[in-house]
Amino acid sequence: MIATKNLTKSFGQTKALSDISLTVNDGEITGLVGTNGAGKSTLLRLIAGVLKPDKGSVTVDEQPAYDNPVAKREFVFVPDELYFFNNATAKDMALYYASMYENYDMEKFVRLKNAFSLRSTQRISTYSKGMKRQLAILLAVCANTKYILLDETFDGLDPVMRAAVKSLFADEMSERGLTPLISSHSLRELEDICDHVGLLHKGGLLLSESLDDMKTGLLKLQCVFSDEKDLATVKQKLDVMADERQGMLHVMTVKADRQQVAEVFSHIDTVFFEILPLTLEELFIAETEGAGYDVRKLIIQ
Amino acid sequence: MNYLDLQDPRPIYEQITDMYRMLILKGAMKPDEPMPSVRKLAMELSTNPNTVQKAYTELEREGYIYSVKGRGNFVRDNPDLREKKRKELKDRLDAIFKEASDIGISREELLK
Repeated sequence: MIATKNLTKSFGQTKALSDISLTVNDGEITGLVGTNGAGKSTLLRLIAGVLKPDKGSVTVDEQPAYDNPVAKREFVFVPDELYFFNNATAKDMALYYASMYENYDMEKFVRLKNAFSLRSTQRISTYSKGMKRQLAILLAVCANTKYILLDETFDGLDPVMRAAVKSLFADEMSERGLTPLISSHSLRELEDICDHVGLLHKGGLLLSESLDDMKTGLLKLQCVFSDEKDLATVKQKLDVMADERQGMLHVMTVKADRQQVAEVFSHIDTVFFEILPLTLEELFIAETEGAGYDVRKLIIQ
Repeated sequence: MNYLDLQDPRPIYEQITDMYRMLILKGAMKPDEPMPSVRKLAMELSTNPNTVQKAYTELEREGYIYSVKGRGNFVRDNPDLREKKRKELKDRLDAIFKEASDIGISREELLK
């Protein structure tokens, strides 16, 4: 288990993270999402022990992460901006990783590298952006660590490669209990594969919940009232976070569970009423709007 | 056959359960036939093994499959399922008839 407690980090005047308490459970995929500049990368760097926290703590299986080789043996970190040695080939990098991680699986690396058709004699500097990302992920997975931390996981990968990387994670998770912690901008992608999601905004953690709980806590409704007056009743009885109107049709986001909604609407006469599943994207927008981040307002004046 | 529709608003685990419910009801998967292992299916669908496990737990709860410790999951021989599905379809049909009669379309007129 990776746990951060009241984690705070500033760079000069800029407060990058404040008071983050997040838990990464073993055997689950945890995803980090956040607005631009929310502190996702900083959080990952703190967990990886690259940065020293100003306040609070990061522990990896009860061990402090910063400057601690024992904790660092348990995870591997793939940063947003990849780093390879000058003039290195894939083979050189694999040998370097193998010298750092005692359980490095060179056989697996060769097998995967061939499956992903990366040439090991070619200099990495001649690789494309996506190929570099593939190589970095393969190098990391073959370190056979318990945790893998990935920043901007799918950045630069084409759809086929994205699927291949996800399959690779699925294999490693069922095979040896790998626990990935990933950040991504593609909400749809995280939604499909994560068990647990942490939502960061302006250095704070807005939410950290299992995706199922998150989705049952917020609902999207579509309805047409027989009598518009009933809208007031609904707004009074339910926590309506957003209400958009298209003609007679109301599309509402409410903070409630299905039963509550069914109960309120059982007393109301509607022409049409439907509960729709909420996507992570809508959740993200609803939650960050609540925290004062409405991009549309910035654009549409 | 195993492709997930990423545009589909249903959660992935529901897509998996629906897919296997239909395969089992249609007889495409016979009683005692092994289900793909969680690992294999997760890799095939490029999804989280926990999601597949969740789908299997749901299928087991509904009586579509049974699990044998250490050996995996198998299709259960369960004649009640067809009856359950028949009831479910009938309920849906009744709802359609009711909707039709609410706006003044008779049963005969609808079936024409």
